[in-house]
Amino acid sequence: MDEGVGIRVEGLSKRYGTGDTAVDALKEVNMTVAPGEVVGLIGPSGSGKTTLLKCLGAVIEPTNGRMTLGGEVIYENRWKISDLRVLRRDRIGFIFQAPYLIPFLDVTDNVALLPMLAGRPNGEARERALGLLRALDVVHRAGAQPSELSGGEQQRVSIARALANRPPVILADEPTAPLDSERGLAVIRILDQMATQYQTAIIVVTHDENIIPTFKRIYHIRDGRTYEEAGAGRVLPQASLS
Amino acid sequence: MTLHLTLPPRVWLAALGVALVLALGWVATQSGPLAPIKVIVTRVNTGEVSPALFGIGTVEAQRAYLIGPTTAGRVKRVLVDVGDTVSAGQLLAEMEPVDLDARVASSLASAAGGRSAVAVAEAQARDARSRQALASTEARRYVALGQDGILGQSLVDVKVQEQKSAAAQLAAAEAALAGARGDLARLDADIRAAQQQRGNLRFIAPIDGIVTTRSAESGSTVIAGQPVLELVDPLSLWIAVRLDQGRSAGLRVGLPTAITRRFDPKTPLPGKVVRVEPTSDSVTEERLAKVTFDSLPEGLSTGEMVEVTLHLPAIANAVIVPNASLRHRGSQAGVWLHADGQLRFIPVKMGAEGLDGKVQILEGLKPGDTVVVYSERALEEGSRIKVVPSLPGAAK
Amino acid sequence: MISLAGRDILHSSSKFVLTGMGLGLLIGVTFTMAGVYRGMVDDAKVLLNNSGADLWAVQKDTLGPYAESSSIPDDLYRGILGMPGVAQAANVTYLTMQIRNGATDVRAMVVGVVTGELGEPDYLIAGRRMTRGHYEAVADVSTRFVLGDRIRIRRHEYTVVGLTRRMVSSGGDPMVFIPLKDAQEAQFLKDNDAIVSERARTAANPALNRPGVPGLLNAIEASQTSNRNVNAVLVRVAEGRSPEAVAQAIRRWKHVQAFTREQMEDILIAKLIATAAKQIGMFLVILTIVSAAIVAFIIYTMTLGKIREIAVLKLIGTHDRTIASMILQQALGLGVIGFAVGKIAATVWGPAFPKYVLLLPADALRGFAIVMVVCALASMLAIRAALKVDPATAIGG
Repeated sequence: MDEGVGIRVEGLSKRYGTGDTAVDALKEVNMTVAPGEVVGLIGPSGSGKTTLLKCLGAVIEPTNGRMTLGGEVIYENRWKISDLRVLRRDRIGFIFQAPYLIPFLDVTDNVALLPMLAGRPNGEARERALGLLRALDVVHRAGAQPSELSGGEQQRVSIARALANRPPVILADEPTAPLDSERGLAVIRILDQMATQYQTAIIVVTHDENIIPTFKRIYHIRDGRTYEEAGAGRVLPQASLS
Repeated sequence: MTLHLTLPPRVWLAALGVALVLALGWVATQSGPLAPIKVIVTRVNTGEVSPALFGIGTVEAQRAYLIGPTTAGRVKRVLVDVGDTVSAGQLLAEMEPVDLDARVASSLASAAGGRSAVAVAEAQARDARSRQALASTEARRYVALGQDGILGQSLVDVKVQEQKSAAAQLAAAEAALAGARGDLARLDADIRAAQQQRGNLRFIAPIDGIVTTRSAESGSTVIAGQPVLELVDPLSLWIAVRLDQGRSAGLRVGLPTAITRRFDPKTPLPGKVVRVEPTSDSVTEERLAKVTFDSLPEGLSTGEMVEVTLHLPAIANAVIVPNASLRHRGSQAGVWLHADGQLRFIPVKMGAEGLDGKVQILEGLKPGDTVVVYSERALEEGSRIKVVPSLPGAAK
Repeated sequence: MISLAGRDILHSSSKFVLTGMGLGLLIGVTFTMAGVYRGMVDDAKVLLNNSGADLWAVQKDTLGPYAESSSIPDDLYRGILGMPGVAQAANVTYLTMQIRNGATDVRAMVVGVVTGELGEPDYLIAGRRMTRGHYEAVADVSTRFVLGDRIRIRRHEYTVVGLTRRMVSSGGDPMVFIPLKDAQEAQFLKDNDAIVSERARTAANPALNRPGVPGLLNAIEASQTSNRNVNAVLVRVAEGRSPEAVAQAIRRWKHVQAFTREQMEDILIAKLIATAAKQIGMFLVILTIVSAAIVAFIIYTMTLGKIREIAVLKLIGTHDRTIASMILQQALGLGVIGFAVGKIAATVWGPAFPKYVLLLPADALRGFAIVMVVCALASMLAIRAALKVDPATAIGG
């Protein structure tokens, strides 16, 4: 396959349980996301979207199929990477439904934690963190504790954290769920910017009707199967996420 | 690059940490076995040592008189009681005479009978003398007549024999008289004996004094030697003092003493040693002495316990240390000398010691030396010490 | 890499420090209990050392004079003094009783000593030694007497002329030293009422009160009220002689037992203190278990409060061992604070205890090691919980 292909999923299946009580959460899922692309993943609850995200995030083991992340085959009927943790740390960025910042680290250290875990010296890690915070327009809160930030500021810090190790892939799980429509759009706009700037492939799991029109490509998932669809690709208004 | 650090908790925690470490350090070095031993030192001075001996004394009477019968009998009456003052010659008590009065009367009666016997013997002797005189006159006449041939020899012999027999009868009568007189003397002596025995039943005070004990009442039976009354001369009260043998150096007659009575310990009374007993008490290991008051106080009683301090001559210009500074290493007595920040044990030779705890040092120290007086723990060579002005717990 | 444990502690510092102080008080109690035991052993050792004796001669077949009562004639010491190898021998009596000082009563061990001989305390902290043969006393400061106090022991009053420190019986009762003769009288002479009734009983006994022998009754009464016994003879052995050899020689006397210093220590520590030692040992075990439980609960609770953060950390790529080390460091940090607070607290409140509390540096180090081990073990519960967290739970919800 091509080098630099962000995410490629081929024939991914996940079965829970055995025998009569087995449940197929994912059935032969196929998916591709190019670097720099922000793709939506839409489906009702129970459709398997969370399962797919967990497989892509290397926190659960699929039953069979193939996953390629950033040009590297990470799973082909079994894990091809020995240390999944390192994979998650260096190659995947996570954005959650809530910011989930570490409460006992300040904003800078929350972002700098990932590079430090990857072995970067503290000073360099903090420099990189400040750069990202600046890009996300939240650097003026660099020394604050997470509890002192507004919801939107926290969300921006969590985006910065996801980008900290410059992963080729970002998995975003309902990132706009707690936000109002204006701020939700702002998040998607920022993700767009970051994807373009850092050539990251981003999957956004959502059911937020507000932001769905902004995706150029959408994957629907139902009963464990995915269907691709072209999205509306609406241009986002300039909005600030405060 | 501004890193806004949250100062307050960080600084506060750091300060707490430093405080904890310092406190731990203080705890480790200032208390427990690692800490230096606190001591109080003093300089050796010269001064006066007033050695003294101390003993417990009992007030006694120099002489006590036990008044009692010389034979067993029954007490008839006791005329005095405990505490009474009596004068010499006063009748104190009497025993029952029992049959003694009857015996005296019988002796008197016997003597009277004896006197009549003597009278009878005298009359008989007079009678014999007169017959003898007559017989001798007749014998002389008859002898003269016989010589003249007037009377026959046998008549003369009869009269001569009558004269001899009358003389013999006179001798017998005179002997009988002597015997009767001797009997009378014996009977008179019996009277005196009975009367003397009767006299022993009356108890007469031998001295002026005070009755201290009344041991028998009228009607009780006492045996020979058992006292009925005890007398003492109140002016003869003195103190029997007992002194530890080990602490009786310098005991001699004439030492001035201070005597303290129990109820008034603040007022010592002066006295002096009048006798040092030649026998000591080997069981209690004490020496015994007798001390008199310079002037007898009021209300003194025998058996009262007093404390006696005997003052020995003071020693001036002695090198003195408090006796609390004396320590022992094995059998050696000595002090801990504090010089040049070092602690050294110096054996010393001790002299006299005063009752206030000052001890004279004969050898080993000189005035100006600094010695350890009080210490928290036992000291050893090389102990770390810290000189302090006072030790905890010792405050007055 | 920053210290996650350090940041977490800084973040919830007050809770952490307060917990540490609470744990510290518990540890302080543990140290104090160990100190009480050490103090009891030290009491026994001090009792033996301060007497200055190498041997104790006591009544045969007894473990006296401290563990059992012992009574020997007071002229026995003369015979012992004459034996080869004996440098000093002195009579001594011991009696534990209540002493009155004004309105208060103090329980103390009254020791009768011959002034200037073995048995007298070798060092004072105030005042002077006894100079008079009667009615003076040297008391230990733990009696709370001061110089000049007039204390009452049985029938007489004594003036406190000197004060000592750490002169205590093996049971921790303070000692009061008085002259031997006074102590003999105090030990065996009863109060006035008892003496009077004893005299009446003797006088009513026709065998003792014979009219034919005047003075017999007085002599009998005098012998009833005199005491010619002591509890032990303290012996100091001459330089270079073996105490056991001299003790053997003394034991050959028919009615006397002699103990060396080692044997006395064994009697006091093994027999007298044994029960107390077991009790204290059990207490220490219980306290350690309680401390461990508390540390375990605290750390577990703190960890449970961070379950979400731990899942996130695991998801974004933190090693299990980093998380485990964070929890372990927190537990050890708690232990360090607890140890410091406990050691300081034990030192500060130790002197207030009625018995002597001895805190040895070796015990402190041992305690530190145990605290660290206990905290490490106690953190296992929380570490196990943390390791079981599934990072997938951070996704979805």
